[in-house]
Amino acid sequence: MKTRLLWGIMFLVLIISSVSQAATEIRIAGFGGNDQNIVEELIARFVETELAAQGVKIIYEPIADDYPRYILNALSAGTAADLFYMDIFWAKNVIKTGAVEPLDSYLQDSAVLSKDDIVTSLLEGFTVDGSLYGIPKDFNSLALFYNKDLFDIAGVEYPNSEDTWESLEQKLEKVVAIDQNFIGMALQPDFARMGALAYANGWEPFVGNETNLLAPEFKEAFAVYTDLKAKGLGLMPADIGQGWGGGAFATGNTATCLEGAWIIGFLRDQAPNLNYDATLLPKSTATGERGNFIFTVAWGINADSQNKELTFKVLEALTSPAAQQWVLERGLAIPSRKSLVDNPYFENETKEAQANKIVFIGAATGQVKPFSFKEYGGKWIDPINAALAEVMSGQSTVEQALATAQKRLDEDVMK
Amino acid sequence: MSELSSNQQSQVELQFRIRRKRWLNVGAVYLILILISFLFMGPFLFGAISSLKDNPTEWPPTIQTAQLSPRNWLGAFNLARQAGSGGLFGQFKAGKMVQLKVTYRFPAGHEVVLPEVSIPVRVAGSGQAALDLTQKYAADYLEVSAVEEIKRWTEGGAIYAEYQIMISNPSHFNFDIVPLNLKVPYQVEFVQGTLTPNNIERLGMVQSWKNISSGLIPYIFHNYDRVFNENYSRSTGRSLFLSWVLNSFFISIMRVITTLILAAMAGYVLARLKFVGQKLFFVLILFSMMIPAQVTFISNYLVLRDGVFGLSKMFGVNSLLNTFSGLIIQGMVSGSAVFIMKQFFAGLPRSLEESACIDGASTYQTFFKIMLPLAKPALGALTILTFQGTWNDFFMPLVIITSPMDKFPLTVGLLSFRIMYGAAGMAWGPILAGAIISALPIIILFVVFQKYFVEGISFTGLKG
Repeated sequence: MKTRLLWGIMFLVLIISSVSQAATEIRIAGFGGNDQNIVEELIARFVETELAAQGVKIIYEPIADDYPRYILNALSAGTAADLFYMDIFWAKNVIKTGAVEPLDSYLQDSAVLSKDDIVTSLLEGFTVDGSLYGIPKDFNSLALFYNKDLFDIAGVEYPNSEDTWESLEQKLEKVVAIDQNFIGMALQPDFARMGALAYANGWEPFVGNETNLLAPEFKEAFAVYTDLKAKGLGLMPADIGQGWGGGAFATGNTATCLEGAWIIGFLRDQAPNLNYDATLLPKSTATGERGNFIFTVAWGINADSQNKELTFKVLEALTSPAAQQWVLERGLAIPSRKSLVDNPYFENETKEAQANKIVFIGAATGQVKPFSFKEYGGKWIDPINAALAEVMSGQSTVEQALATAQKRLDEDVMK
Repeated sequence: MSELSSNQQSQVELQFRIRRKRWLNVGAVYLILILISFLFMGPFLFGAISSLKDNPTEWPPTIQTAQLSPRNWLGAFNLARQAGSGGLFGQFKAGKMVQLKVTYRFPAGHEVVLPEVSIPVRVAGSGQAALDLTQKYAADYLEVSAVEEIKRWTEGGAIYAEYQIMISNPSHFNFDIVPLNLKVPYQVEFVQGTLTPNNIERLGMVQSWKNISSGLIPYIFHNYDRVFNENYSRSTGRSLFLSWVLNSFFISIMRVITTLILAAMAGYVLARLKFVGQKLFFVLILFSMMIPAQVTFISNYLVLRDGVFGLSKMFGVNSLLNTFSGLIIQGMVSGSAVFIMKQFFAGLPRSLEESACIDGASTYQTFFKIMLPLAKPALGALTILTFQGTWNDFFMPLVIITSPMDKFPLTVGLLSFRIMYGAAGMAWGPILAGAIISALPIIILFVVFQKYFVEGISFTGLKG
């Protein structure tokens, strides 16, 4: 009996070999992949040096899949990290559960971080009832990326910031006339692209608590976008076996696409020699205004965290000018601090730096709205995307598709 | 005479018919086997070939990829030799010079011009490599020393011209990666070269090579090369993918050991020893097999979170989450493993133990000296089934092991590949390469131990 017990204990000792540490742990949750590389590097460079004295141990927990579901589950189960990513797309849903700590009092006491440091348009998506709940870490907006080669071959002037959708169409017509393999624009059937046109027309996604897809501003934008396909000036990426606009653009046959700075890293790997440039989105032909989306992810603090003060210190270090400058220099993200507008990086003549600059400027010109849709999130977008795909694949007319989408919105989503 | 011959004839005919039937049977069996093996191995082979391609999603898919052409093998080998290294693995050594030949087709009426040769700076767009700005680029040191036309001929109205390009390394550094770009005017066509370019971009105007001096093996297995070399741990600097493979081996082997020990002992006890509640224990074990893992997963998670009811605190560990120990403990032994062993021991003749008992052996001695050696076939089958199950296990490691990335087993690591190489659009090459590598050990295991595999299934009549 005794030997058996002894064996058992020895076995357990063998199995359990890790040693615990007494230091305070701050857990950070975010996306996996590239984000993990970046945040772990930031932690090592800027956070641990800062907080070394307190004996804090910082752990980054990458969530590989379905991050929004993870964070909602973890917050309600009490296992969420102290500091975590909040995408503007669903941030308000999480904030309204009360699980996110308001940051106003921390910001008041902070010497290095204040609301005024951050690009103003980014904060709206994380503000509920006047309190700020998240500090944006970086952001993105849409720009018109164009393939210079195709315009050169066609002898057409490059798209520029003065273009309206009408004048851009004229340029694209000349490009596609040269070769039947040339595609004018990659038209993702996605509100995240087409919506920018609607905003430029002055369309408001929510009037009171209603969404009106049949408003002339929306309808006109919808028609402009889908007509590009009908006129032979564009294709859906799926038509040429690509998953998104960037994929189509990388093939080298596509003259333009509407994407954000996320395309830059992709092109570095997939089409390193692509001769591209970017300019601001075209203006609405009717209003002469531009529209755009803000895509951003913020840091939020867990309201149940045991170490909120320390966690805020970590947040400060992660969004410090030095940390953001480091990220910017690698061309991987656009910093949320206003002061970095004048950063020498943006003066580089490289196509990447210029594209980043355009995306930076794009977030502050014209009708710019956060990429978030009240509490409806993706459900609100789905009917619109379905309508775009239907019209562009020729299954439906603009009127029919919009009527169906409006019906779906009214009856299924916003009831 | 004629009667006999007709008799003989019918005999021959009968034999012929029998033989024909036999051959038909054999033929049918082989045909079915080939079809089945193609069905099972086809996707794997297709994946394996695609994982070598520069563009794994090319449409229509072909098996004539540049990486499988002997011409390119020779080219890659020779270029690496000229660059001063072995040929199989390459590096552009200091003071060396390589020579590359390319042929272009100039359409009729097109002016024949030299291609513009450049060594570009290539920065990775994703992964750890994208963060490192301090690396030395070949572009800053290497020189294009000569671009000469060596041959020109006309064929079908078009002019063909062959060029020789010399690239030298006058610096004192060796370079692992030397990319190359050639640019020609629009509508000039690339025909062939010492090494087929990895990408033809900008409407055919630019031919680009990722690494001209990579050597033969990294040339063929460039995606595998990326998988091992592009992802390294920030904390230890070791290759992440290698760590994942080692972790998977470690966890699988540990689980095999615990399963073998515990299942053999429990199986023997349930099959042979008589004690109160024996039936109940057996029913409980069977019961544990009937509950889907999804049902117990949350409670298992909580048990691990609290360190198995606080037991782990005895060893100074507060929680078994995010530890290998936790992962091994939660799958230490399964009901089905105990069941396999119990059934096997129950099938062995009792007389063996009785004679051991007469010779004065204790229960332990009987078990370890007599019964366990006899159970080798069952243990073999169990080893394979457990190893395979643990190697392919995805869900529990995903939940239990969270950070850092060094700790992931291969399955979870591959998931992070999907995000790393698919941040915006997919780079399927490395993802496929990773998947192929993760499948290899199981395939090797299956080929080597297929005898036990079949036995294992016949023991249980169950899946693994």
